[in-house]
Amino acid sequence: MSYFAMIWEIVRKDLLIEFRTRQRIVVMGAFAVLIGILFSFAIPPGTIRPQDIAAGLVWMTLVFAGILGVGRTFQLEAEDGAFQGLLLTPVPRDAVYLGKVVSNFLLVAVLVALILVVFGAFFQVDYGDHPIALLLTLGFGALGFVGLATLFGAITSGTRLGETLLPVLLFPLLTPMIIFGVSATNRLLAGRPVAEVSGNIRVLAAFALIALASGALLFKTVVDDA
Amino acid sequence: MTTTRTGFWGPLLAVAGVGLALFQLWLVWFWVPTEAVQGIIQRIYYIHVPSAWVAFFAFGIVALASIVYLWLGDDRADHLAVAAAEGGIIFTTIVLTTGPLWGKVAWGTYWTWEARLTLTLLLWFIYLGYFMVRNAAPTPEKGRRWAAVVGIAGAVNIPLIHMSVYWFRSLHPLPVVAKPEGPTAPPEMVQTLLLGFLAFTLLFLGLMMLRAGVHRIEHRLRLREVAP
Repeated sequence: MSYFAMIWEIVRKDLLIEFRTRQRIVVMGAFAVLIGILFSFAIPPGTIRPQDIAAGLVWMTLVFAGILGVGRTFQLEAEDGAFQGLLLTPVPRDAVYLGKVVSNFLLVAVLVALILVVFGAFFQVDYGDHPIALLLTLGFGALGFVGLATLFGAITSGTRLGETLLPVLLFPLLTPMIIFGVSATNRLLAGRPVAEVSGNIRVLAAFALIALASGALLFKTVVDDA
Repeated sequence: MTTTRTGFWGPLLAVAGVGLALFQLWLVWFWVPTEAVQGIIQRIYYIHVPSAWVAFFAFGIVALASIVYLWLGDDRADHLAVAAAEGGIIFTTIVLTTGPLWGKVAWGTYWTWEARLTLTLLLWFIYLGYFMVRNAAPTPEKGRRWAAVVGIAGAVNIPLIHMSVYWFRSLHPLPVVAKPEGPTAPPEMVQTLLLGFLAFTLLFLGLMMLRAGVHRIEHRLRLREVAP
């Protein structure tokens, strides 16, 4: 079995579980819509244009809802020892990690689409004239987020504190993603040209690459027993 | 017998560091000239800057020792990593205490989202995560490996965090010592600062080696409990 076929099998398994249980996507989606409702009450009407702060709201919702879903990746399999079974198969650890990253990324991609639709409807956000640049910004940001959250999720799901520890490990390292992602999104929502944000998108791509490379290298030491 | 010793270099470096730090404090209070614009508050600089250097130097040691630990599985590397993290979080706390005190007088506010201040606060939380993972792991062995992963992932990301917070904002004074045309500060100020670097580095290294010795002894005692 080729390397990519192994990754695909992990992705297929994860998506099949998700498709049959719909646990994580329902929780993440409900969170995104409900936080949108709370935001609409938290932002005083008439004083701030939602358009001006929509970028920050989108990114923070991505992070909070994303943590709910991605943090559960390993809990699902820990309950009946399925993850031990997965580790016993002759699949390299980094393929397991990358498979998890891909399935989590697809989950977060659905979440991002939902956030954009819901916030667009709730706050009448105009997403500007450059949907491709906006999707690239959110896509690379989400990929970096998922790369780090999957690695740290594997750690925290084994600790006594569980997922509550995940934000402590994850948030300091998400600073580049939030700074460059929010600023690029802000500019795009304000109708600025793509040339202004291409540097930001490159940094987000580098962030995603670093996250994936360090995750693939370190995942083995996280899950192995000795 | 060896289980009760913490080594020779640790105490020596720690004593030398304490002696030099006390001498440097004397220089700071009684010898170095008062800076013309900021006045007496600028003297906190001789504590603040060397502590910041040690805070990041310590994290470098945490990362390197963590790599060695994961690579070779040698427990001594882990003892060194956790000892460096303990020293590192202390000096990071010193930076985060002296910085706002200085900032309140110099900038008129305890906290600004200035790049280096922000980076140091994030570093403090990375250290915090390092210790929390270590303590919340189901077995000490897992805690050591997971903490090493946190240390390495943190070190890999610090340059990018550094770049992004700089890009976000910077209003720190520009370096006046390490400039290509030579330092512009008076020689007394440069000498006091350089002595601070030396004193704090020696103090940190001494404390680190002492703590590494303590961790080594604890480790051996734990092994004895398991297999007497």
